[in-house]
Amino acid sequence: MELKGEQHIPAPRQRVWEALNDPEVLKQCIPGCQTLEKQGDDKFTATVKAKVGPVSASFTGEVTLSDLNPPESYTISGEGKGGAAGFAKGGANVHLAEDGPSATLLTYTVNANVGGKLAQIGSRLIDSTAKKLSGEFFAKFSEVVASSESTPAAAPATAPAAAIQEPAPPPSPAPKPHPAEDHAHAAPAPAAPAHEAPVHRRGSSEAPPSYDKGIPPMILVALVACGAAIALFFI
Amino acid sequence: MGGMNMSATGIGASVRRKEDLRFLTGRGNYTDDINRPGQTHAYILRSPHAHAKIERLDISSAQAAPGVIAIFTGKDMAADALGGLPCGWQIHSRDGSPMKEPAHPPLVIDRVRHVGDQIAVVIAETLGQAKDAAELIEVDYAPLPAIAHPGKALASAAPQVWDEAPGNLCYDWVIGDEAEVDAAIKGAHHVTRIELTNNRLIPNAMEPRAAVGEYDRSTGDYTLYTTSQNPHVIRLLMGAFVLHIPEHRLRVVAPDVGGGFGSKIYHYAEEAIVTWASAKVNRPIKWTAERSESFITDAHGRDHVTTAHLAMDKDGKFLAFKVETIANMGAYLSTFAPCVPTYLYATLLAGVYTTPKVFANVKAVFTHTVPVDAYRGAGRPEATYLIERIVSQAAREMGLDQAELRRRNFIKREQFPYQTPVALVYDSGDPGGCMEKALKLADYSGFEARRKEAAARGKYRGIGFSTYVEACGIAPSAVVGSLGARAGLYECGQVRVHPTGSVTVFTGTHSHGQGHETTFAQLVSDKLGIPIENVDVVHGDTAKVPFGMGTYGSRSLAVGGVAIDRAMDKVIAKAKKIAAHLLEAAEADIVFENGEFSVAGTDRKKAFGEISLAAYVPHNYPITELEPGLEETAFFDPLNFSYPGGAHLCEVEIDPDTGVTQVINFTAVDDFGRVINPMIVEGQVHGGVAQGIGQALLEACVYDEEGQLITGSFMDYTMPRADNLVSFTLDTHNVPAPDNPLGVKGCGEVGAIGSPPAVINAVIDALSPLGITDISMPATPPKVWQAIRSARPPLAAE
Repeated sequence: MELKGEQHIPAPRQRVWEALNDPEVLKQCIPGCQTLEKQGDDKFTATVKAKVGPVSASFTGEVTLSDLNPPESYTISGEGKGGAAGFAKGGANVHLAEDGPSATLLTYTVNANVGGKLAQIGSRLIDSTAKKLSGEFFAKFSEVVASSESTPAAAPATAPAAAIQEPAPPPSPAPKPHPAEDHAHAAPAPAAPAHEAPVHRRGSSEAPPSYDKGIPPMILVALVACGAAIALFFI
Repeated sequence: MGGMNMSATGIGASVRRKEDLRFLTGRGNYTDDINRPGQTHAYILRSPHAHAKIERLDISSAQAAPGVIAIFTGKDMAADALGGLPCGWQIHSRDGSPMKEPAHPPLVIDRVRHVGDQIAVVIAETLGQAKDAAELIEVDYAPLPAIAHPGKALASAAPQVWDEAPGNLCYDWVIGDEAEVDAAIKGAHHVTRIELTNNRLIPNAMEPRAAVGEYDRSTGDYTLYTTSQNPHVIRLLMGAFVLHIPEHRLRVVAPDVGGGFGSKIYHYAEEAIVTWASAKVNRPIKWTAERSESFITDAHGRDHVTTAHLAMDKDGKFLAFKVETIANMGAYLSTFAPCVPTYLYATLLAGVYTTPKVFANVKAVFTHTVPVDAYRGAGRPEATYLIERIVSQAAREMGLDQAELRRRNFIKREQFPYQTPVALVYDSGDPGGCMEKALKLADYSGFEARRKEAAARGKYRGIGFSTYVEACGIAPSAVVGSLGARAGLYECGQVRVHPTGSVTVFTGTHSHGQGHETTFAQLVSDKLGIPIENVDVVHGDTAKVPFGMGTYGSRSLAVGGVAIDRAMDKVIAKAKKIAAHLLEAAEADIVFENGEFSVAGTDRKKAFGEISLAAYVPHNYPITELEPGLEETAFFDPLNFSYPGGAHLCEVEIDPDTGVTQVINFTAVDDFGRVINPMIVEGQVHGGVAQGIGQALLEACVYDEEGQLITGSFMDYTMPRADNLVSFTLDTHNVPAPDNPLGVKGCGEVGAIGSPPAVINAVIDALSPLGITDISMPATPPKVWQAIRSARPPLAAE
């Protein structure tokens, strides 16, 4: 149940970190996101409408951030509930690396589980849905961070303005920032890369769809796709 | 009896099914087709977790949603002091203690124990509104660890399903003398050991389950329309144990039902919920399962893990058979579940062989999965699969031909009736006769040439054997009662002769694809000498049929058919009295033949219709001695089970490049005793064999480690289709059943019982040149391909 991936984002690392911390940015980038609220320094809640194959529902989710190491890495974990559609839960480790002065390489490792109807009839479709949603997310995210970078004044909704609503992301200019608690309010996680095929091992020795540990290791995006708040951050 | 009518519609004629016109032209009347005035719709909120505590359940927002009439939870049912869904059979453990029988409320109170467990019912004006409102129900779950695999349920660290069933053990049951069997194994020339799994199956009847509940406030009467194989049993179980409604206030109707295969025997929560709630809201309520709901709520089948030892002498004569099985019950005990892996399984472990000593230990376990219960064959497929796999393995280990080892151990025709070491007395049979006929039909002697020819084409070809017996015609009430059944298993038949001589038959059995309307009409046409068009068969309504125990265990003809036959005997006896009066003769001189009552030795006679008219227009009638009318009821309780059996031979070819197994030939020679309608019997065998091939090659119900069902749709659960099958070669080798008054044995389950081991033995035979001795069901292409790759050098040429 482990998935690794990476995504190239055309913006400096600090800007990417800030954007990932910014509920307004995330809200406009996550496909189907209805609400996204900060519930505390390390907790977010969200509502996402998502459709996985034949299963569609409104998911409410809650995620917790930990091991914050801005602007380089953090861990995200949480759960999303989709009523009759089931649930998604899991976590991810996210890492941001500078890729030159104006680009960032986001890498992640995801663990996720789905249950109920999502597992029953959606598990086969989660990878493709996750890819589709993460593609949409990163396209939008790249657009937003790139534009805010070049013309900060012209992008009020996404730019530092957002940071006024939320406590500004910790400066932490030092390459080795403070440990997590200092930056507990830091934020949302990056998500799954669009171009990355989920690394996904079909059960080789059992019946047709038996996976090694149940659900195919799917991308955090899957969670998102499922509306988990995690997903929110991770899409 | 019968047989005197030489018409094309009597016993032995392949009459086309009377019901086909309505089924094939969409004129069937199924439960979901029934709509009652003022009807509302129910949607059931189900658990997405395999095991969780419900910490909070808030229905307030949902109650305010548009169209919502009411929402009920387990607490509402508890407040009305309703009972749980009862289990119909009690098994005792080896220490004498009764099985653990946890509560089974129709709606849970505070804990869910499998994905799909019922939490709340939303009743609304439309189904869409009910579903939308269900989305607004807020449930906080505290997920708990779950156990799904029966083989792991007994481990000390396994999550516990029930506090009252420590170690997840429902019962620990034995049959036979363990010490004796162990001694025989110790002293044997050779012992074959096998470990196998009988894969869990999901029934998937074409019509999903449905229920419509209706309450009449003016009379206090309840009506339940439901997809059931046994409406009277549902009336009994639901009325007496769950809702506490007396029988005369509760009518259960099971109209046309689109397949059951066992899954529609049981009393399900939804039936009780809509019936109870219809009185609460004072409006009819309909619930119909969606296909994905069927996957997580219909009782599943099989799911055994077994280790067995077969001891032999130097000639391959079986000396003793020891079996240790873990059987999955699921999260709750379904209606028949406890008897399936015990009395329907272990009592068949002698098979068709003279094995003198048999011992079996069955441990039934609870898991966080859908309940497991009888599914086409119920216990007998599990027994047959085990026996025929180990016998085939024994033949390979002993270096004996598959047919020869069986010949040495068969119960011979002249040895019947045969008392097995595991309780049953087989009344008749001829396993050897069935096998020899099958060997000829399948051209067994030409097989090695076909194997070579296939090898030249790069294919592995194999042939697999299954020679089996099953016990059906369920069941002698006194016998099953002594074994823990909480009901009698007789059957009721009523024959109503109308004034002009046509007949309506009321039967307590239920047809959901078996063709009773035709087969039973043939019985009547044959015996009463009237045209089959003049016979109508009514079933499936407790308000019409006096009583009944329904259809399962291939009992309809062997038990229900005899009840009808007995009722006809009573009709004929009364008609003879009327005929004697009309013909002015002594009753003893009246002969009934070919539909006519005549005075022996004379040409004076009356047609059947003349007698029935006299019975209803009693102008010239022995009115002081006989009441008018011509209608009789009979109950029949069988003296023994019936024992169909036979030989199935399967020939497969395996493509080593893809792992695909193709069934090339399938030959079945079965012993059904007396056959009423050969075409219907053949159809039953076709369906059963297709299901058996499905189990062997395609179907697997898979739960993941968290108890999530990941084969929950037809995308992942593979049903057999036409291109997985072959044109079967079918024949019979019928030995009449002396213990059955009609001489019949039953045919509904044999295909699913006999075929799986034949298929898997063929796959193993095909791969045996590679040293492969085991392939588990289903033998899917990836599994077979991997077995081939691990057994031979990677780059070996064909």
